[in-house]
Amino acid sequence: MANLSVNLCGVALKNPVIAASGTFGFGREFHELYDIGTLGGVSTKGLTNELRLGNPTPRIAESRGVILNAVGLQNPGVKHFIDYDLDWLKGTGTAVIANVAGKTLEDYQAICETLDGKVDMIELNISCPNVKSGGMAFGIKPETVEEVTRVAKSGLKKTPLMVKLSPNVESIATNALAAQSGGADCVSLINTLTGMAIDIERRKPIIANNTGGVSGAGVKPIAVRMVYEVAQAVKIPVVGMGGITRAEDAIEFLMAGATAVQVGTANFTDPYAMPKIIQGLDAWCDKHGVKNVSELTGTLTLNQR
Amino acid sequence: MKEYQAVIVENKEIANGICSVTFALPVATKVRAGQFGDIAVGGTHLLRRPIAICKVEENLVTFCYQVKGEGTQRLKEMKVGEETSVLMPLGNGFFVEETEKEVALVGGGVGIFPLISVLREYAGKKTINAYMGFRNKGAVCGLEEFEKADKFVGVTDDGSYGEKMNSVQAFAADLEKGYRPDVVLSCGPLPMLKALKKLVEEKNIPCYVSLEERMGCGIGACLVCVCDLSSGAKARVCKDGPVFNVTEVEL
Ligand SMILES: Cc1cc2nc3c(=O)[nH]c(=O)nc-3n(C[C@H](O)[C@H](O)[C@H](O)COP(=O)(O)OP(=O)(O)OC[C@H]3O[C@@H](n4cnc5c(N)ncnc54)[C@H](O)[C@@H]3O)c2cc1C
Ligand SMILES: Cc1cc2nc3c(=O)[nH]c(=O)nc-3n(C[C@H](O)[C@H](O)[C@H](O)COP(=O)(O)O)c2cc1C
Ligand code: FES
Repeated sequence: MANLSVNLCGVALKNPVIAASGTFGFGREFHELYDIGTLGGVSTKGLTNELRLGNPTPRIAESRGVILNAVGLQNPGVKHFIDYDLDWLKGTGTAVIANVAGKTLEDYQAICETLDGKVDMIELNISCPNVKSGGMAFGIKPETVEEVTRVAKSGLKKTPLMVKLSPNVESIATNALAAQSGGADCVSLINTLTGMAIDIERRKPIIANNTGGVSGAGVKPIAVRMVYEVAQAVKIPVVGMGGITRAEDAIEFLMAGATAVQVGTANFTDPYAMPKIIQGLDAWCDKHGVKNVSELTGTLTLNQR
Repeated sequence: MKEYQAVIVENKEIANGICSVTFALPVATKVRAGQFGDIAVGGTHLLRRPIAICKVEENLVTFCYQVKGEGTQRLKEMKVGEETSVLMPLGNGFFVEETEKEVALVGGGVGIFPLISVLREYAGKKTINAYMGFRNKGAVCGLEEFEKADKFVGVTDDGSYGEKMNSVQAFAADLEKGYRPDVVLSCGPLPMLKALKKLVEEKNIPCYVSLEERMGCGIGACLVCVCDLSSGAKARVCKDGPVFNVTEVEL
């Protein structure tokens, strides 16, 4: 038994495996299958100040090795989450990470103030590619990344702030640095890559929103590269995600510089993906004489060219 | 809801482009008519395929599926003895009230399969009329199941089997003759369900429809599969459905 616990900017996680936002709801459904208290953390469905109904359907499409989605931040609103889901989710024993989005700087500040002290961490979604007002406007340029981070941080007295970065940008490392300057306690990446899938019979995109965010196994090499670049650039911890399906994938991200990882699409393919990854991490560490999983972070060395 | 490692014991074509696959689960299971399973097809396919549970006998579960795209093609190619993961039973299913004695089933296309599970659950306990529409004679299947109905009317789009009409028209024809079921249960293509909604709302007959929507998780977590309720709210087809009261859902 290796020690799988990690410390993510002051928050103790049982293990480095976190459910990725939007694939896990508030955890209730997966809890019917297994005890989600065994997970390192759960990042909630993206929350907004007011209820949102999201995009029209179809909201999902498949392409070999990946999926595309455009749910469009459907959620019951932050107040509903606090009243009906938060205590239950905390009670499971997992770390609660509230993923939040907004239209304006004021939105971001308000939702952070509302959640301050109530959750273990806030994940600032400034990278949803599927809604015009999903914060993407803030997530592209380093200047606005820094600004929205600073405003969100000003609403937080107790809860650490994680900023979730978009891969659909010129330089994700520059944006990570901007988040760091704005006061982010850590960054997470990658959100989905913007893509399109076409129904050739109808000559129309499959997804009602036309474009969707690409995720799943096939995006992993892109995500690993970006996590490496960001980890090299910033001093704050990095949470890596994008295509993680097995323990070996998670280990790649840790070696590239991640302190913890998130798992999204793999939960659809196999609802037990995360418990299996946690088990696999333990087994891999034992086999390789690694006593603490945290020792793996950033241990990658590049080939000499 | 459970995830089962299921072993294929039979996988065969039962009509043109329509196959039936039977899995052996490690243990016996119980389901409600109209519930579905989410079947992993493997390979590069990250999404499972939602298919209605057609038949359950102890630990044997049968699904009938139309070969449409890559996923159902893969399912068709799976051999007896192969193992895959099936998440089931999912969704709410059809529910017939104690007071509802006369039941009409109106199905079209692959929508006939969840209705077969209703027949298996309620035949002998209720008086059941089954109105089923097929594309053409080659697509006709499930007749041995429809024998369990008190009355069966099979029709096709081209008239190559039964009359040339859809199942809503066949059902409407009986209504004209004075037939009045206590409840209608239906599944089929959207245009068919829309026509049925109009008909039963005019005649004031309770009606439940099973909907299809593209899915992510299949268990209610991701909000990918939603439909619109008349109230303005959204409902998850995989968890709150797939069966909805036709007056409460926007088609
Ligand atoms: C609750 C429910 C019950 C169903 N029961 C049956 C059944 O008993 N028999 C049957 O033949 N079909 C049934 N379907 C439809 C079946 O799910 C699709 O035909 C199948 O997923 C197509 O997969 P594919 O890989 O062949 O097609 P592709 O077009 O290659 O699939 C691509 C993606 O779109 C999804 N998709 C495509 N068409 C549909 C659709 N109509 N509904 C939902 N997802 C779709 C697939 O699941 C996959 O994720 C049901 C659908 C739902 C939602
Ligand atoms: C259906 C779906 C919904 C998502 N919703 C959100 C969301 O609300 N907020 C967010 O920050 N990311 C959201 N994401 C992105 C994931 O959290 C994650 O960043 C991405 O899917 C990459 O990880 P993966 O390849 O493991 O899925 C969503 C992804 C999917 C597939
Ligand atoms: S498919 Fe995920 S909520 Fe229905």
